[in-house]
Amino acid sequence: MLKFEKRENVSLKLRILVSVISVLAGLIIGAIAILLARINPLTAYKSIIIGAFGSKYTFTETLVSATPLILISVGLILAFKMSFWNIGAYGQYIIGAIFSSYFALFGPPNISRFLLLTIMTFAGLAGGAIWAIIPAVLRAYWEVNEVISTLLLNYVALYILKYFMYGFWRDPTSHGFPLSKPFTLNAQLPKIVLNSRTNLGLVFGIIAAFIIWFIIKKTKFGYEIRVIGGNPKAAHYAGINVARNVIIAMIISGALAGLAGMAQISGVIHMLQIEINPSYGYTAIIVAWLSYLDPFAAVFVSILLGALASGGYQIQITMQVPFGIVAVIESAILFVLIGSEILMRYRIYSEKRRL
Amino acid sequence: MENIALKAEDITKYFPGVLANDHINFDLYKCEIHTLLGENGAGKTTLMNIFDGIYSPNEGDIFIEGKHVNIRSPFDAMGLGIGMIHQHFMLVDTLTVIENVVLGLQNQGFIVDKTNIAKRIKEISEKYNFKVNPYSRIWQLSVGEQQKVEIIKMLFRGAKILILDEPTAVLTPQESEVLFGILGQIKSDGKSIIFISHKLEEVLEVSDRITVLRKGRVVGTVDKGNVTQRDLATMMIGREVLFNLEKMPLKTGREILKIENLEGYNNRGLKTLRGIQFSVHSGEIFGIAGVAGNGQEELAEIITGLRKASKGKIYVENQEITNLSPYSILKNRVSYIPSDRLKVGLVPNLSSVENSILKCYSKEPISHGLFINYSRATEYADNLIEEFNVMVPRMSAPIKLLSGGNMQKLLLAREISENPILLIAVHPTRGLDVGATEFVRRKLLDARDSGTAVLLISEDLDEILMISDTIGVIYEGRVTGIISTEEADIRKIGLIMGGSKLANSMGH
Repeated sequence: MLKFEKRENVSLKLRILVSVISVLAGLIIGAIAILLARINPLTAYKSIIIGAFGSKYTFTETLVSATPLILISVGLILAFKMSFWNIGAYGQYIIGAIFSSYFALFGPPNISRFLLLTIMTFAGLAGGAIWAIIPAVLRAYWEVNEVISTLLLNYVALYILKYFMYGFWRDPTSHGFPLSKPFTLNAQLPKIVLNSRTNLGLVFGIIAAFIIWFIIKKTKFGYEIRVIGGNPKAAHYAGINVARNVIIAMIISGALAGLAGMAQISGVIHMLQIEINPSYGYTAIIVAWLSYLDPFAAVFVSILLGALASGGYQIQITMQVPFGIVAVIESAILFVLIGSEILMRYRIYSEKRRL
Repeated sequence: MENIALKAEDITKYFPGVLANDHINFDLYKCEIHTLLGENGAGKTTLMNIFDGIYSPNEGDIFIEGKHVNIRSPFDAMGLGIGMIHQHFMLVDTLTVIENVVLGLQNQGFIVDKTNIAKRIKEISEKYNFKVNPYSRIWQLSVGEQQKVEIIKMLFRGAKILILDEPTAVLTPQESEVLFGILGQIKSDGKSIIFISHKLEEVLEVSDRITVLRKGRVVGTVDKGNVTQRDLATMMIGREVLFNLEKMPLKTGREILKIENLEGYNNRGLKTLRGIQFSVHSGEIFGIAGVAGNGQEELAEIITGLRKASKGKIYVENQEITNLSPYSILKNRVSYIPSDRLKVGLVPNLSSVENSILKCYSKEPISHGLFINYSRATEYADNLIEEFNVMVPRMSAPIKLLSGGNMQKLLLAREISENPILLIAVHPTRGLDVGATEFVRRKLLDARDSGTAVLLISEDLDEILMISDTIGVIYEGRVTGIISTEEADIRKIGLIMGGSKLANSMGH
């Protein structure tokens, strides 16, 4: 009979070991799926790695996928440290994108690129923040469960986006497709690698990771957040203003998701449309957990997941692997990684039957 | 031997650092109510959890009706006819009585025959005069009624041995009387009951035999007819005092804490404080003795602002602090050592440093403006740790990795170093080893000698007698006797703690 015993201490060595084994196990499960598609798994995996890191172009594509994950996940880390379960990055991302698009599409025409992009950046931050304040206030003052409120607001955000895209923001020359007019060059975030889609958003992400690390580790606010997250009763007893901290932390968390939305439309897509990949908001939850709420680890985990996405995209094209198989590989790795949590938290041993 | 329902031989159970049961022998006859008596932490609940299959013992054997058994889960226990009613009921609030009774039954088909079950519940109810409507939802029932549902649940499953873990702790005296009647009836139906309590009066009222536990060991098993409340109090508490601490003569100063006619409710909505009245002076340790659940914890929470008082007034240095926020009370230099360190006092996942600064993180020099200076904080924590001799593996390790004694030392260090005028310590040595216990008591005495008013709430009578200057005994939400330690007699206090009528002759 297997018995579980709570682990008291998890060493870094164990963490890395378990993570590596999990990824391998995920790859083996994925290999079964690939075999069923009558493809040699080793070749497929080799192509994924090449597809993610093999050339300058593919590597920059990996970074393009990683950028929104970094921005969103470091924001989520701040909320999660406080035990505020923000599932709403999806919606915050959309609203951030809509806010910044407004200035890209209808902003004053004669301002400099720098000024327009600055305005769009702040609009993105503000949009995400506003969308995050709603559940934060509900939770802080009326104890409304944030998992429900943030999740439901995601749908509201999606329908607001649809309203604009099927309504008066649709480009009249788009032949009925729900797309806005393409952004002018002034409204596009500059690229940081020539001839690629890797843009300034990545720099924003790395700066954000540093700022969040600094907030958590060095400030009074970060300390209060950790106390609230660790033991709300102790926080109350020590006189920490829980409501205020919940709201501020969510403003920051939402703002970063909004900025991710802005960076995606301004740096990658160059227009507003229905398909702006808001599901980064969900993947970033996984990133935050896999990185154990460490902002710097989140940067690397984001790049890893970005690599899976862009490598997966490459083998679809080069090996004619159906899209479903790629999704199976990705899910298998994530599934095993998340499942391996139990090995970190519990020691599992078998107990001999006592007489 | 055929009239023995359950027999336990040499049961030993240890948890990391604690020997909860030490070679315990126990037997239970058919048609018997056998009480386990002992202070908190004596090992009663651990032993019962072993009978119910929640824990498995490290050593020892259990026999049911002469047959050696291996109880691996509550489900196994039920199969052997053992049903346990926990202090905290295992009921689903939003379901009906019927649904709760059926919950977990294996022999039901896919569709539950509710009318038939309701009929059987009614039969049981009528037999024992329970007056419980099978269709009521649990949240609609009073605590006493919920307890009856638990009993119905066990009888429905054919329990032959009922274990009740401190069943009267949540009941009013009237409800307790009703319960005793029911237990008597169940007994006369040929079933056996293990009754857990530390209230002497009711123990003598309800039991046939009594086994007294102290510090994980059996002190003795006695017949009800052969003992008095005094004997039981002596057995339960033990007269030998572990160590004597040298105590400076009492130098009481001005009145620091004054409590007037205080009333309040517990989490279950029962009135647990019914007019508390006493005061504590500078340089005095005022010990509150009493068995668990008589309002002690609620009293501490109300004074520190973590719970609201429904009536009455609290003054600290003549300033009223009733129902202020914990933070405003803290600013009045009131320190608090809560009974559950990890739930209120500490943040388990944060480090020793981060826990050390919880009450002063926003003051210079530990913080400056928006930032915390962690090297200053570490220095501050280092000093506390050194002065209070806390064993910390790494300063950055989460505090939950520390032993109970070291956690308590750190908490104490943090609270005392604030130089409080009033220190409230609730069960400050519960679960600590001998060395840490002595250390904590020494520090409480030091605080007293430096002029702090100390309110000590403890179930350990030895501790109260050892370090308090004045003792107030709390029973059912009232302080029923205030005496100075020199005049105190452990037997008398034990009797008042058990709610003995003698209490009246000892009023203040």
